This record gives sequence, C-alpha cells and structure tokens, in this order.
Amino acid sequence: MIVNLDVQDARPIYLQIIDEVRRALVVGSLRPEDPLPSVRELASELRVNPRTVSQAYQELERAGVVYVRRGEGTFVSADALPGPAERRALADRFAKKILIEARRSGIGLEELSAALRRVAGEETAAEGGAGQPEDAVAAVPTGSDEGGEG
Amino acid sequence: MRRSPDGAAVETSGLSKRYGRTVALEDVALQVPEGSFYVLVGENGAGKSSLLEILMNLERAQSGTATILGLDSVEQGARARAQVGYIPEHHRQLPRWMKCGDLLRHVARYHPAWDEAYADQLVDRFGLKLDRRAGSQSKGEARRLQFALALAHRPPLLLLDEPTDGLDPLIRSRTMSLLVEHLADSPTTVLVSTHRVQELDSLADHIGVLQEGRLVAQMSRDDLLRTVRRYRLEVPEGWQPPPDLRAAEQWRASTGRAMQATLIGEEEVVVARVTASDATVVDTTTLSLEEAAVALLAEAAR
Repeated sequence: MIVNLDVQDARPIYLQIIDEVRRALVVGSLRPEDPLPSVRELASELRVNPRTVSQAYQELERAGVVYVRRGEGTFVSADALPGPAERRALADRFAKKILIEARRSGIGLEELSAALRRVAGEETAAEGGAGQPEDAVAAVPTGSDEGGEG
Repeated sequence: MRRSPDGAAVETSGLSKRYGRTVALEDVALQVPEGSFYVLVGENGAGKSSLLEILMNLERAQSGTATILGLDSVEQGARARAQVGYIPEHHRQLPRWMKCGDLLRHVARYHPAWDEAYADQLVDRFGLKLDRRAGSQSKGEARRLQFALALAHRPPLLLLDEPTDGLDPLIRSRTMSLLVEHLADSPTTVLVSTHRVQELDSLADHIGVLQEGRLVAQMSRDDLLRTVRRYRLEVPEGWQPPPDLRAAEQWRASTGRAMQATLIGEEEVVVARVTASDATVVDTTTLSLEEAAVALLAEAAR
C-alpha cells in the first residue's frame, strides 16, 4: 500500500491516512486479509506522529474496515470490499478538489463540466486514433460479414 | 511520582527572566500536555532557549515556577532532569576531551533507565565513531551524539532546542525518521523549539508562539488550523475592513473587487462579521502549520 500525504491538504493528517487506506481498497492495491503496515513503519515512512497513525487505524477499526490480530498487527476485514458508496465518496472528493481550484480561477460549474467532457473526449479520441488501424481492420470484415448474412 | 492533575508534562506559571535590561521571558504560562508533541515557535532571540534552560535548571528565572513531570524544576531539579532527554541549543556543550564511547558510559550512569542495546543501535544508526574525541567532532557529528545521549534512556520527556541545527539535509531526514520510530516504541512527551516549523509540520500536535519573551498563542494543531485561515472576499466599492476582523497582515487587493487576508477567529464568526460589513466570503483556504504560526507572529507584531 502506498500512502501519499499532501501537506497542502486542509484535512487533518489522520483523515488523510484513512482516505488513503480507503482509496487503496477501491483501487485494489489493498484486499481483504492484507496486512496494513505497522504504526511504527507507516509513521516512520510518512514522518508523522505515531499517535496520528494509531488514531487513523482506530477509526478504521471502528468503521469495520480493518481488524487487529493480537500480536500480529492490523489486517483488512474480510467484508471491507468497497461498495458503490465508497466509490462515490472517492469521486466526490476529486470533484470537490477540482471545483475549489476552478472557482479560484473564476471558472463556474457549467464551464468546468463542459471542459471535463471536452478534455475526456479528446483523450478518448487520441487513444482511439492510435488504436484505430488494427481495430478497423479486425472490425470491418466482421461487420460486413454479418451485414451480408443479415 | 506526583503528576499535575490536568495531565501536563511541563507547566510553567508567571515565568519571567531578564538579562540586565533585556527581557528574555515575560509572564510565561506554558502547558505541555502529557504525550503531546509540542512545537515552540519564535524568531531567534524570542526566548525559546531561555525557557528550555530554565526548565533544565541551567538558568534561574527571576519569578514564576516550572514543573516537569510533576516535579519542581528547582527544588527537585536533579530528579526531574534524570527523566529528561535534553538537546541544548549549542553543540559545543560536550566535554571536548572525552571520547564518545566514554561519554556515553558516563551519561549512562546518571540515568538508571539507560538501555544499553538501544544505545548501541543508536550509535550504529547515527554512524557515531566511539573512539573519537567529542571536541574533534564536526557540528553534525556532535548533534547526532547529543541525540543518542538524549534518546538512549527512553526518557518520558524530551526537551529539544533546535535539534536539527547543523545537520545536513540527508542526516536531518534520517534523524527525523529515528525520532518517529523512537516515539512509536516509547511513549514520550516532546517539547521542541524551532524556527523551521515546516520540518515538524506532520509531527506537531500542539504549538506555542513566543514573541519577544511573551507566549502570544498556545493551542492544539487542530485549533490553530481551524482558526487561522486565508479568506478571499468580494467587497463593495470603497470598502474598509471592519475593526472587529483580526487580520494577521495587510489586506491585499487581488483583483478589482476582491480582497484577501489571513484572518484569525472561528470561521462562523469571521463570516458573520464579513457579511455584516456588506462583503461576501468567496472562499477560505487552510494554511500550513508554518504559515499559520507566522500569521500569529505577524498579528502579535502589529
């Protein structure tokens, strides 16, 4: 699991750690029964107060995301697979971040969502463009065959 | 051992110190909660070192008292000091003629809780040379030796005076990791003075701001970051900031009708006062610990 902290992030550090663990679950880099790094390891790696890491782990335990095996450490709960709610929370977080940045530059919601669609569209077009020759060769004959039969 | 009832590891009351006519400390009431990582911020000469020296009974205050782990810093000074790991401001406060290995053994005798195995480990990880005389060490080496001496008896309280001064960036980063691991292994209260808050940003949970000998602010990290924020306002023409807004610095006009300043106070209160002055809050930004501390210093200096 890779935990990244953003010093510019306004939220308390223990919340950032919780979010990073949840993100790792959504992304799949952390799965049920996987061990979490020890408080000591994670604190040392992130250079944060061990109490902050403990606090984050305790909150995660209370939320049922992780559990503690005595003397062995902290593990991801068997039923901690992220549901739609987690994915939505993650998406909301991104949305909030972008929205704040955009507002700071005087860009409103409509303009922003239009830009998101445009940029995403350009990306798909670029990807599609690169992959097109092969796809086109494969797709066209099938299409025409089917068309012929029909 | 007697602990103060409110769980403070370090507590001072009415502490004042003058050197001739220069005021070093003025009526300081420090409260370091047990188990906290308390960062004392202030410019050079603000009184940070004087405060730590008084706690260690190396200096005497003209008035006021200091309690360390429930012990009076003067009356019960020796017992208090045996439980403290102290890194002084100057790295030259080591006996120059002593070899590092001898110095470690010497200091160990003063601390019943000295952990031999841990001391060896620290010597190893700090890369200390035991047959080297303390006086022939570089500034950085001396600092690392002081760290080993302070940590090896796993004291319940660490008093660190600009601890990373004189360490090059790589060693500084390694030292911070060692300190974090130490805190994970041994529950410790830390009181550290620094003018480099950035470095301790993710460790600090309490902060005290010293300015010209006065403790102008003292609060938890969460309170500090909640109550010191940057605000952007949209203001009507000819708008003057109302006097009940505590601005840390000069207002800045960002564009035509937008103004920006770091304001101090609970957000609801600030927003209500802004609204009452016919302006609107466009957005607020949380500051880093360093920016927030600097804002408090700036406000106190106004």
